[in-house]
Amino acid sequence: MNPLSTVIAHARLQLMDLFRSPGYVVPTVGFPALFFALLALPYARSGPGAADQLTLSYMAFAVIGVALYQFGVGIAAERGRPWERYLRTLPVSTAERFAARVVAATAFGLLAAAVVAIVARLFTPVDLSALQWLQSFAYALIGGVPFVLIGIAVGYGVSARAAVPVATACNLVLAYAGGLWIPPRELPAALQMVSPYLPTRAFGDLMWSIDGGASAAHGLVVLLAYTAAFAAVAALGYRRDERVRYA
Amino acid sequence: MILELDRISKSYGAVRALDELCFAVDRDEIVAVLGPNGAGKTSTLEIALGLRSADSGRASLFGASPRDAATRRRVGATPQDSGFPDALRVEELVAFAAAHYPGAPAAAQTIATFGLADLARRRAGQLSGGESRRVALALAFAGNPEFVVLDEPTTGLDVESRRRLWETVRGASGGRSILFTTHYLEEAEALATRIVVIDRGKMLFDGDPRDLRERFGTRRVSYVGEPLPSAALGFEASATRANGHVVVTTADTDAYVRALVRAGVEFSDLEIARPSLEEAFLTITGGAK
Repeated sequence: MNPLSTVIAHARLQLMDLFRSPGYVVPTVGFPALFFALLALPYARSGPGAADQLTLSYMAFAVIGVALYQFGVGIAAERGRPWERYLRTLPVSTAERFAARVVAATAFGLLAAAVVAIVARLFTPVDLSALQWLQSFAYALIGGVPFVLIGIAVGYGVSARAAVPVATACNLVLAYAGGLWIPPRELPAALQMVSPYLPTRAFGDLMWSIDGGASAAHGLVVLLAYTAAFAAVAALGYRRDERVRYA
Repeated sequence: MILELDRISKSYGAVRALDELCFAVDRDEIVAVLGPNGAGKTSTLEIALGLRSADSGRASLFGASPRDAATRRRVGATPQDSGFPDALRVEELVAFAAAHYPGAPAAAQTIATFGLADLARRRAGQLSGGESRRVALALAFAGNPEFVVLDEPTTGLDVESRRRLWETVRGASGGRSILFTTHYLEEAEALATRIVVIDRGKMLFDGDPRDLRERFGTRRVSYVGEPLPSAALGFEASATRANGHVVVTTADTDAYVRALVRAGVEFSDLEIARPSLEEAFLTITGGAK
């Protein structure tokens, strides 16, 4: 079979499985928009500037959630299962399976970000051009890369039972401390010292650069550093799992 | 040759799971791997499927490494019990498996062959044990592979469902080779053209089911009457009494019956039992099961 058709088959199966699991769809797709409505709406309604910044922040938050849950919780839950062992007996390479996971996560990430964007369009004076919207989705995917790797590191690093709380803690703490829920300048003074070094803040900077609120370069450099660091951790976790289960 | 295992050894820490195991599966053969728990059956299958690699020795599948994805295009395997993603439908799972194989028949055809038409729209999470096993089998055959590997295909099923599953396997086996592990001697006898018995990672027997019986089973003669004194026989025979019958265990039951007639003693209710596979298995593995 050509690799493309196996990637499609695997991505399709994952998407069907995930879409039929309300326990997955509601938190990943619904929560970012809900948080936006509860925490950000009052500020976002104050004017287009605030609305733009908060919309972009919550789009990033939405993608981070998908990256951490789909990779972190997904891998931790699946790696010990008989189904995973069965998939390895099929004529499909690790690279094809990983590509399928990326495709499925991209679809979910875009959907979660789109729900935030729709809520923002309906209830706030958000003022982004068509090009800026396009940019926002593209940047949201780029900024999601290190979080995918953090997710993989979590997925291989902790047990299936621990993965949900660990991924949730990462998601909420990093999003808050990185200034994705409330703008960085509103954070407590102590957090403001740490915040610039967090991957979530860097993701925010990348997003906010779309309407001139931050420098994209700074965000990209920090994101790249996290990508490199967690690629190494994720690779270690993957190799250890291979050694334990499939050597 | 489909599968060749050449002196493969495998250890997990201090436990030696496979010890220089050698056997091969040829075209059109159905080979059962029998052995007590912990004998190395699962390790053997895992190495054959490329899930694990041997510490030493060589495993080759269609002349290549079982770890190559390209080699696995000619192989189908079953998932272990109840391992499907719950939310997926049976027809989706079958189509998914088939999507990996260039020569796969339409999913609907596989569904019909395995008697799953009524279950096609059912979610995997709502299948009973027997239904799951049937779906697992269908997945192994869904790509129309030349070689099928089944890991304890009927464990945990009642006798009726087990027999039905054997029928299905026999029906689907045409033109391919099958390797399966089992706890049930009856299953090995019903399906296999060859039986491999392993224990503690070593090969104890490799041959057809009849050989296994003949070589390791003991025959019995039972009747109502008196046992012959062993001095009169000239061969090994041991007699015990059970339920008013004399039960004689001996390698040559025919000779015993001739001796019985020649001796002119009274006897009735004569019965000759052929050796059971169960017994042969117990003899071979030293009573472990």
